[in-house]
Amino acid sequence: MKAPTTSTYLCQYAFPESVSDDAAPAAASVVIELLSLVNFRNHTNSEILFAPGLSVVSGANGEGKTNLLEAIGYLSSLSSFRGASTDSMIGIDDEQAVVRAQLQVNGREQLIEAQLDRRGRNRVQVNRQPLKRARDLLGTLRVVVFAPDDLAIVKAGPGGRRELLDTVLGSVHRRHEGDRSDIDRVLKQRGAVLKQAGGSTSNEVQATLDVWDTKLAEVGERHVSAREALVAEVSPIVEQLYRSLAGDDAAVTMKYRRSWEGSLLDALTQSRHADLRRRVTLVGPHRDDLEMSINGLPARTHGSQGEQRTLALSLRLASQRVIARRVGCEPVVLLDDVFSELDEQRASALVRELPAVQTILTTATGSVPAGAKPSASYVVVGGQIREQHG
Amino acid sequence: MYEGPVQDLIDELGRMPGIGPKSAQRIAFHLLKIPTPDAMRLSEAITRAKERVQFCQRCFNFSEHELCLICSSASRQDGTLCVVEESRDVVAVEKTQEFRGRYHVLQGCLNPIEGIGPEQLRVSELLGRIDGEQITEVILSTNPNIEGEATAMYLARLLGPLGVMVTRLASGLPVGGDLEYADELTLGRALEHRRAVE
Ligand SMILES: [Zn+2]
Repeated sequence: MKAPTTSTYLCQYAFPESVSDDAAPAAASVVIELLSLVNFRNHTNSEILFAPGLSVVSGANGEGKTNLLEAIGYLSSLSSFRGASTDSMIGIDDEQAVVRAQLQVNGREQLIEAQLDRRGRNRVQVNRQPLKRARDLLGTLRVVVFAPDDLAIVKAGPGGRRELLDTVLGSVHRRHEGDRSDIDRVLKQRGAVLKQAGGSTSNEVQATLDVWDTKLAEVGERHVSAREALVAEVSPIVEQLYRSLAGDDAAVTMKYRRSWEGSLLDALTQSRHADLRRRVTLVGPHRDDLEMSINGLPARTHGSQGEQRTLALSLRLASQRVIARRVGCEPVVLLDDVFSELDEQRASALVRELPAVQTILTTATGSVPAGAKPSASYVVVGGQIREQHG
Repeated sequence: MYEGPVQDLIDELGRMPGIGPKSAQRIAFHLLKIPTPDAMRLSEAITRAKERVQFCQRCFNFSEHELCLICSSASRQDGTLCVVEESRDVVAVEKTQEFRGRYHVLQGCLNPIEGIGPEQLRVSELLGRIDGEQITEVILSTNPNIEGEATAMYLARLLGPLGVMVTRLASGLPVGGDLEYADELTLGRALEHRRAVE
């Protein structure tokens, strides 16, 4: 009997794009009605009743207003948008923290709860029912976070730009999240082989690398195609948003730049010699970049601070729109002290471009940009939240 | 820190997989509280197991003898090998009562991060068995995760040229469950590997 080729049975499944670009209009929505925090950073016991429209949370730096957004973000992605570890989100003297949110999903109540545990026994419940895998929570609450250091997406290295694309893809479909973590895992394993080889090119090393290369090529090609499709979709939206926010007719272009040409498997084979010498994988989805330019000049190196910030905002806004369009449900918008960095014209343009969905905004100064109509206001002092009336 | 022997016990228990310092302490205190014969039974069970249990010289499953019960059984089918990562996977496949061939336990999977390459696994022993036992089919039953898939691919490439049929466990939906409760990745893969209904 002849052996079947490996590709006939190794999980080589190409996903069809299940959600078309002209999916149903984003009518559905999720609203956070009540958020409660126990031992989450400096919030020993906080409860906050949010408004469906715009909620403004003010407080001096260090009082705990960003922690609120971080907690909401945790329920969305099971990670901190500030890149913090689980440990650092748990109160200093505590073993566990709990984040709980009462949501309204298309008019139905849903209670989601996450328990963060120092020993890594994180647990998640939906409507008081524990989920077998915490990751099954993903997709229940979608948020888009605007943070002051979003500037780095444009200004810093390509890592942040890939991260942005992958975050949007992860919000859109679980399979992208799976592919992304598979890529990370394969890269780690391949890197370990390269290091252990110590420059050796024995048959053993070659045969092991062959396997990791095949896997990386398969998942990598699929993931990069998804990133490219996303860039193609997001790019005209960013261009339009940029003009609106900047108030001029600048031309923004976006181009996804692969770190290889042809097939990834061939590229990995060609790069193997250099990879073994340098002990790192030199081509692949982890070396790609999203190039952006304003009026033909690279935004990263030639943009002014104002232009870079405007572009970063446009990217976040466009992300929100694309997620809404792809999944048919509007993500909640979290604005972490974003307005303090904007001039008046850009601030009110941002207010104008924000989607009509639940928005939670933090501000250190307490001031709200022109045109914004808060439904509720809160003050955070030392991890305590108070609603402000009138 | 506790008195010598108490702390020793906690430390030893804490070395067990999946047991953190708190659990180690809880188990240690439990052992100190229960009647002596009960504790001795555990201690003897460990000693006996360590003395008597070895690896089967052929399939590397746990065994009380040089050859395990499966390898030495005359009623098992020759010619088909089911390759698994660990002994516990043998137990899992045996429970199905669907497999009448024999096993090969790799004692792990390719995992360079943990320093496990082909030399650390029972790979050369597997290759030796193909000719030695006139194997015609090898069923690769490593785990459906990245490392398990890589191990299967690695073995498939070694086994292919030997003229033996190489198959891989199908991945699909849990039986007896509801479609709506299957996670997207499992369901997605099952959809991808759908087959014609005869
Ligand atoms: Zn045996």
